[in-house]
Amino acid sequence: MSNGIEYEIREMVSNILEVPVEKLTPEVDFFKDLNVDSLKAIEIVAAFEKKYRIIVPEDDIPKIRNLGQLIEYTKNVTS
Amino acid sequence: MKEKRRIVITGLGVIAPNGIGKQEFWQALKEGRSGIKAIKRFDTNEFKCKQAGEIQGFKPDAFLGTKGLRDLERTSRLLCTAAKLAIDDAGLNIDDNNTDDIGVSTGTTLSSIWNVAEFDKGAIHDGPRFTDAALFPGMVMNAASSQVSIRFNIQGFNTTISTGYSSSIDALKYAIDFIKLRRIKAVLVGGVESLSLVNYSGFYRLGFFAGIKGEEISCPFDKRRNGIILGEGAAVVMIEDVEHALERGATIYAHVNGIGNCFDAYRMGKYHPEVTGLKNSIKEAMSNSELGVSDIDYISASANSVPEQDRLETKAIKDVYGSYAYNIPVSSIKSMIGETFSAGGLFQIAASIGSMYKGFIPPTMNYEMRDDECDLDYVPNKSRITRINNVLINNYGPGGNNAAFILSKWN
Repeated sequence: MSNGIEYEIREMVSNILEVPVEKLTPEVDFFKDLNVDSLKAIEIVAAFEKKYRIIVPEDDIPKIRNLGQLIEYTKNVTS
Repeated sequence: MKEKRRIVITGLGVIAPNGIGKQEFWQALKEGRSGIKAIKRFDTNEFKCKQAGEIQGFKPDAFLGTKGLRDLERTSRLLCTAAKLAIDDAGLNIDDNNTDDIGVSTGTTLSSIWNVAEFDKGAIHDGPRFTDAALFPGMVMNAASSQVSIRFNIQGFNTTISTGYSSSIDALKYAIDFIKLRRIKAVLVGGVESLSLVNYSGFYRLGFFAGIKGEEISCPFDKRRNGIILGEGAAVVMIEDVEHALERGATIYAHVNGIGNCFDAYRMGKYHPEVTGLKNSIKEAMSNSELGVSDIDYISASANSVPEQDRLETKAIKDVYGSYAYNIPVSSIKSMIGETFSAGGLFQIAASIGSMYKGFIPPTMNYEMRDDECDLDYVPNKSRITRINNVLINNYGPGGNNAAFILSKWN
């Protein structure tokens, strides 16, 4: 299940940011390393919310800066 | 006498239902090849009408690359591609030194409806908290025009004009005024519309389409005409102050010789019975050009196969030019690309540049049955090989917006 979620999220983010999956390591910073702007960040959040039918509280959004944190967050809220 | 400030066209990009790129488009017009066909983009089973001037086989990645393409909805893809072709054709290098001297002016009216509809569909199906955020930026009317500025780093100004049928000529006039005021040196002027189920359904429900009460055919000026066939696409021209163009050694296609626009709203969705606005637009364009009546070699008509539109345009031409009107060839390319609405005027300009450089008048296709109220020379069914120096381009519709533009060959 966890591996499934990891795969799904990596694919989703890779698709939105147009970054190959192999470059999307858990540590790479969305904002500093991948130049993600606010619009792209909202797009990731919206796609994530739609997929898992979860509303991400606004206060949680700035805490998610890389793929690892996003996967961790997903595991917590879906468990 | 104050010397007239000359504005010239130096670049052209076209994505039309019957040809991608200027050469393919011009060749199709010369051969009378239509881009009107059965719609593939959405299911037409529930409609009596089935056709449109749909652009099929268009691969934007071949022009724009794949990076960032997912952020562009169909209208932006069409406009950005036509803009790229126009910039390349003009040979204008845009960089930090000249970006503030270049602007973008776009005519479009229905372009964002697809995104609005998709967003709404998401809200209804998944709930308002789960809508697709990626669709939102493309929901505004100026999305496509803005994407051109973003993609090609054009920072002078960016404007979208949404005046329905006359949008792209109105956008051209806006750009011309900017150059005349010396606030800018070059402008990418575009017209774009894209086909969507929503606008197709809207025009259908209002009874605008050919095929509802007759044959499903675009046959301007023909007695059988019974409505429009919708078209889509983008056309973009680069216009410049002549000094700027000559300074950089640009190839000049044509010069802007006269332009006029006039509003004559009559009643909701009804044409003014005296077609006053179009007549005044033509008179204004003539008076601010250097031309007399006998200098007009060809009229590129706005006629779109709507009974009133084609009859009234014929009347306007005859009222303005008197008996000389019978000597001027008039044709409508909408018989081959459909009614592209806000993009129509720019397609007519793109076609007319071809007329000047390839020496032909595009035909009015599907012309078979004469109507006594439409009795001019409509260049029926076969292009005419002739020399063209000055073209009058008409643009109007039932909304009250009218525009006329005179394009002259650069010698």
